[in-house]
Amino acid sequence: MSFVGRRLLQLVPVAVGVTIVVFFMIHLIPGDPARTILQQHATPRAIAELHREWGLDRPLISQYWLFLDRLAHANLGQSLIYGVSAASLIWQRLPATLWLIIYASVLAVLISVPLAMIAATRKDGIRDHVVRAVPLLGLGMPPFWVGFLLIYGFGITFKVFPVGGYGTGLTGHLHAMFLPALTVAIALAPVVIRSLRASMLSVLGADYITTARSKGVPARRLFVRHVLRNAVIPAITVLGINIGFLIGGTVIIENVFAIPGIGQLMINSIFQRDFPVVQGVTLVFAVLVVLVNLLADMTYAALDPRVSFDR
Amino acid sequence: MTYRTHALKALTAIGALVLMAGCGSGGSSTGGTGGTGGSAGAPVHGGNLVIARTADSQSMNATTVFDNESIWIFEQIMQPLYTVTPNGKGVMPWLATSYTVSPDKKTYTFTLRKGVKFSNGKPMTSADVKFSIDQNTKATKGWGFINTAIKSVSAPTPGTVAVHLKYPWAPLLADLSLFANGIVPANYGGETENQFYTHPVGTGPFKWGYWHKGSALKLVRNPLYWQHGKPYLNSVTWTDVPNDNTRELQLKGGQAQIDEFPAWSTVASLKSTQGVTMNLFNSTQTNYLAFNELRKPFQDVHVRRAISLAINRKALVKAVLFGNGKPANSLFPPQVPFYQQSTPGLQYNLAAAKQEMAKSSVPHGFSTVMLIPAGNSDYLTIATIVQSELKPLGINVKIQQLDVNVANTDEQSLKYDMTLTLWTMDIADPDELATFAVDPKSGAKSFFTAYNNPQVVKDTHAAQRTLSTTQRQSLYNFVQSQSAHDAFMAYLYYSPYPYATSTKVHGFFVTPLGNYHMENVWLSK
Repeated sequence: MSFVGRRLLQLVPVAVGVTIVVFFMIHLIPGDPARTILQQHATPRAIAELHREWGLDRPLISQYWLFLDRLAHANLGQSLIYGVSAASLIWQRLPATLWLIIYASVLAVLISVPLAMIAATRKDGIRDHVVRAVPLLGLGMPPFWVGFLLIYGFGITFKVFPVGGYGTGLTGHLHAMFLPALTVAIALAPVVIRSLRASMLSVLGADYITTARSKGVPARRLFVRHVLRNAVIPAITVLGINIGFLIGGTVIIENVFAIPGIGQLMINSIFQRDFPVVQGVTLVFAVLVVLVNLLADMTYAALDPRVSFDR
Repeated sequence: MTYRTHALKALTAIGALVLMAGCGSGGSSTGGTGGTGGSAGAPVHGGNLVIARTADSQSMNATTVFDNESIWIFEQIMQPLYTVTPNGKGVMPWLATSYTVSPDKKTYTFTLRKGVKFSNGKPMTSADVKFSIDQNTKATKGWGFINTAIKSVSAPTPGTVAVHLKYPWAPLLADLSLFANGIVPANYGGETENQFYTHPVGTGPFKWGYWHKGSALKLVRNPLYWQHGKPYLNSVTWTDVPNDNTRELQLKGGQAQIDEFPAWSTVASLKSTQGVTMNLFNSTQTNYLAFNELRKPFQDVHVRRAISLAINRKALVKAVLFGNGKPANSLFPPQVPFYQQSTPGLQYNLAAAKQEMAKSSVPHGFSTVMLIPAGNSDYLTIATIVQSELKPLGINVKIQQLDVNVANTDEQSLKYDMTLTLWTMDIADPDELATFAVDPKSGAKSFFTAYNNPQVVKDTHAAQRTLSTTQRQSLYNFVQSQSAHDAFMAYLYYSPYPYATSTKVHGFFVTPLGNYHMENVWLSK
């Protein structure tokens, strides 16, 4: 079986494990969605009616089997709060989160690669020190604060970008999601810059680079084909891991920029004990994390011919 | 070409991307001057108004949903026979124009407004009214309890509806003015209940647009609305912006024209912000400290009175509401009919508190726990102040912060010592509040305190069945005075509804019950 096939197969036990942990954790902690909905009008009769309607009056293990059965039929169940399918809610919100993650990753790469190049080629020079020090501010500042600073600057003062939202259409999304993506990229870039700079310095000192230089390989070709291509692999690992964390941590950015993503949906659903939605979103998060790591591994193979996963 | 040139080219590319993104579509800007309800000239038709709100709606099913973020939306679509007056203390004709009462006070016959059509073009008739009220009465896990006195509804003619009662019932008009008794087409226009409420149809000023759950809900102008010339707006969109700062920034940036519930800490600065009108509408919201009388020593009236007397309400108003509220003296807020201004609700008096403690079963104090939902900074401020204020009485309070849902469940299951709670009115009559607050057999078990004073309960129910305003006032005076004396809850403060609006918004008004009529709202250019 191919590497990709094996990794995709690994998704199954990961997903099942996640469903077991999430299902029992969310059901075992106290709290009742019926009381959330009924508020001060929560009479025992009304609570019992809702429990019966939702199947919450059944034994927990029976509820779990029902959940798995539905899952096998690509059905995540009905949202207890909205009364619509959990899959449709997630499907509505997923694009915004994916946009945020992808856009932020692209911006992080666009920021990191040139800065790492500047730093690596001027090791211990002023530019190197500046590149190593300044982006750390982004790492040190809480993302919600950076987000608000960007909103004040570009949303209120200069009115270049909207204060929040997701936008419509390709240009609308590019426009509306720029500040949130930049907020994430500012936090992501310092780690990638440091990793990439260290790799570049290591590669620049390698014998084959010296050989290539002595053979008269042009500087541009040398850097792009030999230095960058070899140095970028560790940085991809760093980026992949951080994107994995980012997937679970989008909620803060979604909250600050009022982006209707699945991070916000997850938090609301946990507070409201909307069990099917919590389970569905967690499953999606798990799948995304596995896929991002798979993508990082596949990128190694594409960039480095020595890497073969099928051996 | 050098390495540096590569780097500079890449940075230039980023700059180009920023510029391209910055020049893209989306976003809007407003500003200007004027004032909500001010002298901005004649109303102007047109415009799309955006309200940035704190949370999404749950459902459009008016008969089963309890959250305000749903109610305030579908009130723009479905309307009842009577509606609440602007001062929140009475009702006025809406889809009905008048009524007559039978001599035994058990049959009310309503004359329906002529020429009213649903937004789908079909005329509203008595069959629709009968169907709508009957559906709400059947909603056992919803608002059906509000129609408890209704025996049946009949439709003697297409233009009249008769409501037959089991017994004379004073709050009937207030009950019928509840959104849950809003009028929908008979048999849901041929759809199932679930299908219908995915795109409800009514006689209101706006009709269904779309609902992107967790993002935005849009209603568009109903051209068939019975108040000719209204509504002024082409559409109203409620966007979900849970972060207080972001809502404020969206208002300032022109992306929204109304900021629902700005943080109290920002009210003063919003008052002086150019282009923004900071509105503090009179409300019926009352905050309480509840005592669980199933737990010792809270069944001791002296303990409850001592705690209530030790709380400095003015300090709470200053710390939590930044001065934008009033200390509470009664179970009823001032915007409720039959509110008694002279109710001797306990106020801060440390010497009297100490005297009450001396008379109690725990004269030397005790340890207790105050349950609050985690993440609610206002509640944490109140709890911290109360914790400090009870120390002189020897009462050691531990603040327990639990997840909102768990705190809610523990409160409703009476698994707490003390907790913070609040109430806002649903109808323009104290009946619902009084029954829920003082009757341990009601759904809310005396606001989940287990308070039980038989005479208070008796008078509360007596006030339901007497139609004499004088007698009702007398009965409710007793209910307010006695429950204040019993201190089953410490009445903390009354707070207004804060809404920050763009100065381009006119005619926006929130009733003390929290409802607003978007048909009166217009945007100046």
